[in-house]
Amino acid sequence: MKLLTDQSPFHKIATLLIIAGLLALPLVVSNPSVMQIFILIIFYAYLTSCWNFVGGFAGVLPLGHSAFVGIGAYTSTTLYLTYGVSPWFGMLVGGVLAAIMGILIGLPTLKLRGAYFALATIAFGEATRVLVENVEKIGPFEIRGPKGLLINLAGNSLADFQFSSKAPYYYIILFMLLLVLLLTFVMMNSKVGYYLAAGGEEPEAAEALGIKVSKYKLIAMAISCFLTALGGTFYAQLVLYFYPKSILGLDLSYEIAFIALIGGRGTILGPILGALLLRPVGELTRIYLSDSLPGLHLIIFGLVLIIVMRYQPKGLVEPVSRWFNRLARRVDQGDNNRKQEEDCHGVADS
Amino acid sequence: MIGYVESLLNGILMGSIYGLTAVGLTLIFGVMKVVNFAHGSILMVGMFAAYFFVTLTGVNPYLALPVVVPLLFVFGFAMQKFIIKPIFEAEKDVREPITVIIVTTGIWYVLDNLALLLFGAQFRVAKTSVTGKMLEIFDMYFLWPKIIGAGITLLLGLYLYWFLKYSRMGKAVRATSLDREAATLMGIKQNRIYNIVFGLGCACCGVAACVLVPFYYVYPTVGVPFDIKAFIIVVLGGLGSIPGAILGGIILGVIETLGAQFMAATWTEMLIYVFFLLVLFVKPSGLFGLKQDY
Repeated sequence: MKLLTDQSPFHKIATLLIIAGLLALPLVVSNPSVMQIFILIIFYAYLTSCWNFVGGFAGVLPLGHSAFVGIGAYTSTTLYLTYGVSPWFGMLVGGVLAAIMGILIGLPTLKLRGAYFALATIAFGEATRVLVENVEKIGPFEIRGPKGLLINLAGNSLADFQFSSKAPYYYIILFMLLLVLLLTFVMMNSKVGYYLAAGGEEPEAAEALGIKVSKYKLIAMAISCFLTALGGTFYAQLVLYFYPKSILGLDLSYEIAFIALIGGRGTILGPILGALLLRPVGELTRIYLSDSLPGLHLIIFGLVLIIVMRYQPKGLVEPVSRWFNRLARRVDQGDNNRKQEEDCHGVADS
Repeated sequence: MIGYVESLLNGILMGSIYGLTAVGLTLIFGVMKVVNFAHGSILMVGMFAAYFFVTLTGVNPYLALPVVVPLLFVFGFAMQKFIIKPIFEAEKDVREPITVIIVTTGIWYVLDNLALLLFGAQFRVAKTSVTGKMLEIFDMYFLWPKIIGAGITLLLGLYLYWFLKYSRMGKAVRATSLDREAATLMGIKQNRIYNIVFGLGCACCGVAACVLVPFYYVYPTVGVPFDIKAFIIVVLGGLGSIPGAILGGIILGVIETLGAQFMAATWTEMLIYVFFLLVLFVKPSGLFGLKQDY
């Protein structure tokens, strides 16, 4: 779905309205816990969009992306706690580290077939979690094993990436999401994107045409890991306390993949739709039902996943965009008729 | 020294039980080219079934085998027929059925959390007639349930080997795994083979469940560690290879128990993952796998 470049005025207006609505949201919503849910929806949409570079375009199934979230969170936080380095800078360091890690992991594994790649990434993610859980200190950096890290409160400070209200966090993550979506869009319509799509569908045929599939997959992996790590720093600064199980666990890796698949992987809108559907379900059932009915939200998660995959194996983006396009056609109908008439006149005049 | 021999032998015993859980996975993987991520959850279902059967009737735990194994066969058969088959058919032309991986993950989430909802998170121990019984040889101690489990693994491995090699159905299974289309042309009903293979894979979990219940805790997420270990074993042994699965299981069990002699138990977990990644990098086809499979 080409959002802003699409010729239909309805698409343009709808997109601008949605963006305007998103920008105005903190002015309308004042309740911090509601705000937190919106932030988390966008945060998950962001992580899933980052995942999409590998999971969507490169045609493999990475199931260890929480490791890169963790690298981002731990790098910026330990730098901040040990040397007082601003998380804004630590964020970039974490991103570069994650990209290097992603290339190192991708180099041997991206050649593997789907299931093997998925298993290799699970092993990498779990190995990272076990490592962090068992180490108290890496060089001068305290990581405190399973106890996790607590970021000391600095109040309302842009340099320390801490804000007393939720709105700044909301705008930061919204900006990050829009940026990654723009990058996705640019990538999809670039040479790299076409090569990746070709390599994901028919690796042998693409290789035969002279495309170095694994090289482009590595580029996608590096971008994906870099951006995922930035998300890790954001999360750390949002919650100010995290421990290995909360950001390095299999659960997070799976949730990212789930959101992408339910929404529609390899599309721009897929991660947003997936996060919009799954996150509120997850949050609300966890808040209201987790005491009386433990595990219910994960049952719903699993059921939604099975049902969507059964009836919409390409994800929800297909029926939603079909519906949206039909609506757009109907709205634009009058407009188009007028335009066609004008065109006819133009031809007749000349 | 004797301590190392003892833990080596214990590693072999425990490892053969890991192999038992991996056998079913490798069977499904080998024939259908599908990773069943719900494998550990099916093991968990089997363990709860065996646990309730044993605690409610008070019989010898191995008498649960004729009850739990057919139950899980039917369970797996139905799961393939009603959930996996339609998705598999929709993705027929795709070489790597990734959607199936995700759907089995969905089944895993539903089963594990359903168990949590119904039975609670507490750890349960089945008090059976063999629980805690030890065998003592040369100052070394071995749990009887583990010895019996290793024996059952060996028998099941031999039976499956015979089944695939010589029985009519086994030949049909092998033909389907080699070439779906050609097998269909020869009059083999592909979907029936898939249903049966999936059922058999789950039935292997049933055997493992009955073997584990006398000495292992039963809780809703008990499948997860076994699940990940089974994946590792299957890749280690070569996908689709039954001797590979059992040998891979034994290697894993030995690394785990011998490793625990030298380092903290949590580090052995790390060691297993790193070992697995190394195997993937160096020889992705595993010990007994074919080259074209990865």
